[in-house]
Amino acid sequence: MDFDPSDEQRAVLEAVEALLEKHAGPARAIALAADGAYDEALDAAVRAAGFEGIAEEMGYLEALLLVEAFARRAGVVALAARVLVAPRIGQSDLPGPIALVRADHVGPIRFAAQARSLLILDGDCARRLDLGCEDCPAVVSNFGFPMGRVAPESLRAGRELPPGSAVRLRDAWRLGLAGESVGCMESCLSQTADYLKQRRQFGRAIGSFQAVQHRLAECAIEVEASRWLTREAAHLLDREDLPEAPDVSEAIAAAAAFALNAADRVFSETHQLSGAIGFTREHDLHVWSMRLHALRQELGGVGGHRRALVEERWGRLEA
Amino acid sequence: MEFGWSQEELRHRREIRDFLAEELPEDWEEISQHGPGGDSQAAFSKHFCARMAARGWLTQHWPEEFGGQAAPPWRHAIVGEEMWAIGEPRGAQYMNVNWIGPAIMHYGSEAQKAEHLPRISAGDVLWCQGFSEPEAGSDLAALRTQALRVADEYVINGSKIWTSYCNHADFMILLVRTDPESRRQRGISVLLVPMQTPGIEIREIPSVVGERYFHEVFFSDVHVPTQSLLGRENEGWDVVAYALQYERVGAARYARAALTLDRLAEIAGDRGLLSDPIVVDRLGEARALCEAARLLTYRVIDLRAKGSPPTADTQLARVLGTRADNAIGRLALDLLGPEALEYGSFADANFRMAMTAGVAVGATEVQLNLIASRFLGLPRD
Repeated sequence: MDFDPSDEQRAVLEAVEALLEKHAGPARAIALAADGAYDEALDAAVRAAGFEGIAEEMGYLEALLLVEAFARRAGVVALAARVLVAPRIGQSDLPGPIALVRADHVGPIRFAAQARSLLILDGDCARRLDLGCEDCPAVVSNFGFPMGRVAPESLRAGRELPPGSAVRLRDAWRLGLAGESVGCMESCLSQTADYLKQRRQFGRAIGSFQAVQHRLAECAIEVEASRWLTREAAHLLDREDLPEAPDVSEAIAAAAAFALNAADRVFSETHQLSGAIGFTREHDLHVWSMRLHALRQELGGVGGHRRALVEERWGRLEA
Repeated sequence: MEFGWSQEELRHRREIRDFLAEELPEDWEEISQHGPGGDSQAAFSKHFCARMAARGWLTQHWPEEFGGQAAPPWRHAIVGEEMWAIGEPRGAQYMNVNWIGPAIMHYGSEAQKAEHLPRISAGDVLWCQGFSEPEAGSDLAALRTQALRVADEYVINGSKIWTSYCNHADFMILLVRTDPESRRQRGISVLLVPMQTPGIEIREIPSVVGERYFHEVFFSDVHVPTQSLLGRENEGWDVVAYALQYERVGAARYARAALTLDRLAEIAGDRGLLSDPIVVDRLGEARALCEAARLLTYRVIDLRAKGSPPTADTQLARVLGTRADNAIGRLALDLLGPEALEYGSFADANFRMAMTAGVAVGATEVQLNLIASRFLGLPRD
């Protein structure tokens, strides 16, 4: 056990931060969101830096740390699908951006409007579908990501992936959701803490009121726990072949169940504590907070993650 | 960054589990149902800890000069998890090995070390802690119990409250005010007091938590030699801060909660309750909470293993451990229904053990204050 990054991990994280400093951040996310655009430049920078193959080259933990960092800096790219999901199902050659969807999905899908590939989870089966530029019309959404709509017949189409791919697709997708939510929550928290230190009412910083402090402290506990649960689960993906390794699907489900539940609390509390300014586009909180609710819509949401956790730990449930 | 156990750590956990399977009697569940402070468990702990000591495990994390093996904190954490999960057969002695011993090592005189450490590491002595007072609960620095120096003795007057384990204890680690003119943290000292000293009187405070859980301890002109002082006179607050940094995550509450939850899920399965989506949702929520508490505790052990100064991570772990414990206690009641109402039933016993979690060893609200200031950097006023 070692919770601190190794020298190698530290070097990668520094390189990632340098890249994000240049190509990402809330101002850029807000500008892109005005047109529902995808960050082609950041996507190209990820490829140029060689980060796409980080799972194969270093490990899933490092890939997860990348996903966390991109979410923290509000990068508008489909990173989790690229660095976690594609390698996990042996589809690293998929043309990107990659969108993820369940066959029974109804409603907008993250990154679908720009995606060149669609990975479809259909029960025990997984499929890949190549998409053309005009296949998925864009959908206007307030929830922080570019969205598109996929035609129902496309959800039943695609080339079937080898047996066992569905579980791997689902696990890596779920891990990505947890990792992204951790990055977003962390920024919601730091935004709000900064605001509470500066904003004065009744002659004092509102962050000095105990009623306010305890609410943000509770959020901090949830974010830290989500972070370590998610990182441990990612690390298990790298160690799953070892004897006595804990069940990785269970660990991922636990991380997602906890993190996506925390996401709701962090959204509610940080907005409440940030007051009216927190709802405006002049203030950055919404860049991360609105995303949290988009992340909570995937793979059955918190209920789906909890159900998966119970199944993995205590066996299959009755219908 | 990596989260795996070494082969050696995995082997040690198996070893501890085998040892527990061998050593715990068939009626262990009955013995342990009143918790570490119960009569039967206190008696059993002396036998059990001696067996652990014989294997060299009781104080393996202590330095070699005090009879330990300088084992890494992770090894001791594995022991703590396995012990607490099964109902803590070390009884109150988990406190001795976790922080009372280390406090004596750090602050004790040579005579104190020689008197106490061998007994603690042999597993045949029980301690209790005299911290809280009727007017000093969360605000510990408001304590009033007085020890006045008269020649080569301290004369103690006052009272302590909530004191668990004192009815069986051989010694108390006692916080007193040695400077009557002092206020708050200054002027407090720590005394190591034999419980057989004349003038000490114990009264049980009946509670819904269980038998012999809370006590009040009265001190009326209790004379102890000045050699009982641990650390420097009037600087006892440092000793407390040092001790509590060890204590706050000393009990692996999440491990106990997780084991209880496994049992609850099994019962729910046997009764066909897993077709109820609400039951499934609550089981999933509870499991995730136990895992989250485990990881935050591991973070603290990681920091301790690296010799880092204490951080607010300790408070994060404490609060979440409390939440996990409480959540599983409530879930036990909700899942098992009216049969939980019988005293001593599985759900009742777990609910009682869980219910004090947010109050014992520092109320949650105090932990949240510390998180707000130390972790989030929010201003005090």
